[in-house]
Amino acid sequence: MEKLLNELSSECGSAYNVGSDIEINVEIPENLKRVSTLGLPSVAENDLFRHFTNLSRKNYALSTVFYPLGSCTMKYNPLINERIAKIKEFISIHPYQPSESIQGVLEVMYDLEKDLCEISGMDHFSLQPAAGAHGEFTGLLIIAKYFKSIKQKRTQIIVPDSAHGTNPASAALAGFEVVSLKSESDGGILPEKLKEILTPEVAAVMLTVPNTLGIFEKNILEIADMVHKNGSLLYYDGANLNAVMGITRPGDMGFDVMHINLHKTFSTPHGGGGPGAGPVGVKAFLEYFLPVPRIEKKKSKFVLNYKKHKSIGKIEAFFGNFQVLLRAYAYMKSLGGEGLKNVSQQAVLNANYMLSRFKGKIDIPAGNRCMHEFVLSPKSLLKNNLRTLDIAKRLLDYGYYAPTVYFPLTVEEAIMVEPTETESKETLDAFIDTVIKIIFEEMVQIPQKVKDAPVNTSVRRLNEIEAARKPILKWE
Amino acid sequence: MRLLRDLKYTKTHEWVKVEKNKARVGITDFAQHEITDIVHVELPEIGKQVKKDQPSAVVESVKSAFDIYAPLSGRIVEVNDNVLNNPELVNQFPYEDGYLFAIEISDEKEIDSLLDADTYNMLIQ
Amino acid sequence: MDYTQQNQKDKQKMLETIGINDVSELFDTIPENLKVRSINVSGGKTEQEVLDYFLNIASKNKVLISFRGAGIYDHYVPSLVDEIVGRSEFWTAYTPYQAEASQGTLQAIFEYQSLICALTGLDVANASLYDGATSTAEAALLAFRVSGKRKLLLSSALHPEYIQTLKTYLQNLKIEIIFIPLSADSSVEKGFVDSFNNDDVAAVIVQSPNYFGIIEDMKFISEFAKKQKSLFVAVVNPLSLGIFQSPGEYDADIAVGEGQVLGSCMSVGGATLGFMAVKKALEWKMPGRIVGQTVDKDGKRGFVLTLQSREQHIRRSKATSNICTNASLNALAGCVFLSGWGNNGFKNLAVINMSKARYAFNKIRFLEGFNTKFENQTFFNEFVIETKKDVKKINKVLLKNGILGPLDLSNVGNSFKNCLLFCVTEKRTKIEIDKLVELLAKI
Repeated sequence: MEKLLNELSSECGSAYNVGSDIEINVEIPENLKRVSTLGLPSVAENDLFRHFTNLSRKNYALSTVFYPLGSCTMKYNPLINERIAKIKEFISIHPYQPSESIQGVLEVMYDLEKDLCEISGMDHFSLQPAAGAHGEFTGLLIIAKYFKSIKQKRTQIIVPDSAHGTNPASAALAGFEVVSLKSESDGGILPEKLKEILTPEVAAVMLTVPNTLGIFEKNILEIADMVHKNGSLLYYDGANLNAVMGITRPGDMGFDVMHINLHKTFSTPHGGGGPGAGPVGVKAFLEYFLPVPRIEKKKSKFVLNYKKHKSIGKIEAFFGNFQVLLRAYAYMKSLGGEGLKNVSQQAVLNANYMLSRFKGKIDIPAGNRCMHEFVLSPKSLLKNNLRTLDIAKRLLDYGYYAPTVYFPLTVEEAIMVEPTETESKETLDAFIDTVIKIIFEEMVQIPQKVKDAPVNTSVRRLNEIEAARKPILKWE
Repeated sequence: MRLLRDLKYTKTHEWVKVEKNKARVGITDFAQHEITDIVHVELPEIGKQVKKDQPSAVVESVKSAFDIYAPLSGRIVEVNDNVLNNPELVNQFPYEDGYLFAIEISDEKEIDSLLDADTYNMLIQ
Repeated sequence: MDYTQQNQKDKQKMLETIGINDVSELFDTIPENLKVRSINVSGGKTEQEVLDYFLNIASKNKVLISFRGAGIYDHYVPSLVDEIVGRSEFWTAYTPYQAEASQGTLQAIFEYQSLICALTGLDVANASLYDGATSTAEAALLAFRVSGKRKLLLSSALHPEYIQTLKTYLQNLKIEIIFIPLSADSSVEKGFVDSFNNDDVAAVIVQSPNYFGIIEDMKFISEFAKKQKSLFVAVVNPLSLGIFQSPGEYDADIAVGEGQVLGSCMSVGGATLGFMAVKKALEWKMPGRIVGQTVDKDGKRGFVLTLQSREQHIRRSKATSNICTNASLNALAGCVFLSGWGNNGFKNLAVINMSKARYAFNKIRFLEGFNTKFENQTFFNEFVIETKKDVKKINKVLLKNGILGPLDLSNVGNSFKNCLLFCVTEKRTKIEIDKLVELLAKI
């Protein structure tokens, strides 16, 4: 067990130091002064180094194991991107430097916007949103502002029940009422069903294409037409863009607003939960509403334009997660258009190969084909009081991170697998064999071992119930 | 599944104990079983006016959250603070120490719309 | 280079297993008229070519000696921070959904939460939000959620981009924002606060040090907020808490702010770190992920994501926030940063920031054509100077000398015409400060 920092703390000293070549001169009025103790630990650098290194070793990470986490696109994070993201002339830059001293920064952002437009078929992008959900929120604010500008009162957003939880949460945050649309068994939506709830109140319909069960929305053109005829807009959740790059474009499908998760499709690392980036793209008629500042090119010089009076405003301070943007742009320059297309083809090939190998053994509610990911439902195979959760935990013992489980909510006992394009056939085969072994051999022959899993991790199954009932959220 | 004969029930799995003009409310044994381990409960404020079928409390497990609907209209006159610190009471004693709140009934006619134990029992079979 | 791995033989086998002849068949469900032939994105470079390409672009940026702050600060980042944040087991991991396989990230977040609580003097911190501006907006949303009230009382001395972000976040929620005016010496106008009375105010939000660098009388404002039955939200610079009163000491309900100063580089303002700490009573209303301590089935200590039923993946449209991806890696940097100083070291860091800023302040204010904007105010590492000289020229001359000069405040309003916001951190040397003063004197 790794000690906590407060347990490591001793009088011995601390890791860092700072000196001053200027005389210390502080006078703080009593009423403004801190009197309570800071309560920070004192740990020597050597011990601190060990502490955090040891902690890191308790993680399963993309750099150590296969990470088939559905919906998260855990593809290889190329190291050249990291190197570029550490270039001093990028990271030691203050956001309020005059634009003539940050031409390189602005060039990266300007060109990245252009490339994203080309990939997605949208007309303009803002790079400001810090994550996918932040992008959704931005996109929905743009939609709200658009309807305000044409003096229409539309209060509802339609979201399929198979969508990511962020969709309805973002819509609510943007002040809309969420209307849930029941999806079909393959996660798709029936135009007839959509029509029933597509009232004049509807501002937009949010869709994920391919959907969260990994299926392309085959009626998309009909849906887009129906939505537009109703005067509503169509929103594209770009979480699954990795399936269709260079093959088809949301803009061509009829989407008006979208976001892209650069930390999924464009290989930027997830950092244990962030930071990410969720650029928002719009069709030309919505450009005025994008967040400020906009980056503009004037006579080969890049400038920042804050004077956009129809803009929704700022969605965070400064310009977005530049370091993440930089990595994504570096990735694009490594791959180019052909490379990006190959990525999607390979991602879809890998997923279908896995699906084919599972076919006939484990129930696949969305059918025999998928795009870049697929959902298994082992419900009918579960024995001895075991559940999908147990399969996930057992996979950890075999040195795999577990797939996404219990999502989408529309599939019982769901296991959602996304291999990505950067895994070899050998890796996929070994994983498939392991899943089959757990379900068909271990669940039958050694159910207790599955229930007791994991045993090879730094801790065994953790008590989440007590953690929530009697929360301990800091050192005691 | 435990059912008490002298209580009234709702389709959304609340039980109601009518005590003169006051109605005590909780969730049924069936409901607590379905929700599994309850880790958190949100209760309305005392004095709040609620309408019948309006979401008035939330019961949460580790991975889900369930709205609890007011079975009758009226004013919240009592809430069970004990379940805030000990949410497991709702699992252990759903009809007793794990009750959620009490309403001062504003429309007695609404009581007729509640289910008796037999009808509720059929519903959950 | 596209990092895919399958050779022709493997590909062929995979196609056979699927039962198709060509990969293109897998895209049959996409209508033909929606397919594109190719996309025009330049690239396909080798690793070395990519590096050279970006080195060339990077050379169009200028690294400057910074005397500018206003939300992003040039502090020294200890080597250990980069080393730990650079460990791939941290940076290539996902959000710790499978707790048993993510104890490194989970314990680090738990430690981070503990350190933020220690610093702020509050009870519960979350795992991070995007940045200072959005964490301020999330604090306001939290207050509305808890109170059901519809008004917000906001200091005019809050960072302008935070105000803009707040307005953006709240634009469809039928919220009224009331601004507390600025006093003549650039802090919250106490007279206004004294006479203000409205019981529909969900939160009072005040930044300290404020946008102009001044330490506000937070205790006074906190007491006022209590009288209104409003929540008091303190927007703070965490580094200043080494010496200035903590939110816990002046009884704030929520503390938020920008954590970039805790071990993250400036990187054009992103990615940075939004932090949030609250009183115990608000823990179930907090946005964002939270890590809790528990035990495994053998009774061994371990950590999990907890209070999850607040979040979007469970409660969807009724969640406390839509946030999913946050700023975890920057929080890790914050954790490593905060754990290496000790109480005295951290206090000393704050003291040196303040001392260097005062040194510069005392030199500049007595230059001809420069004057202090406020007397008798306490500031941390930023201060405002009014000048009779040409502001544009000042910064032009400084830029020519490799210096990022003070921020021109003329955009803030008429009363800040010809005003300059300086920042001096521990990183600036006496030589650099003297050079700045010398250049200013010559203009």
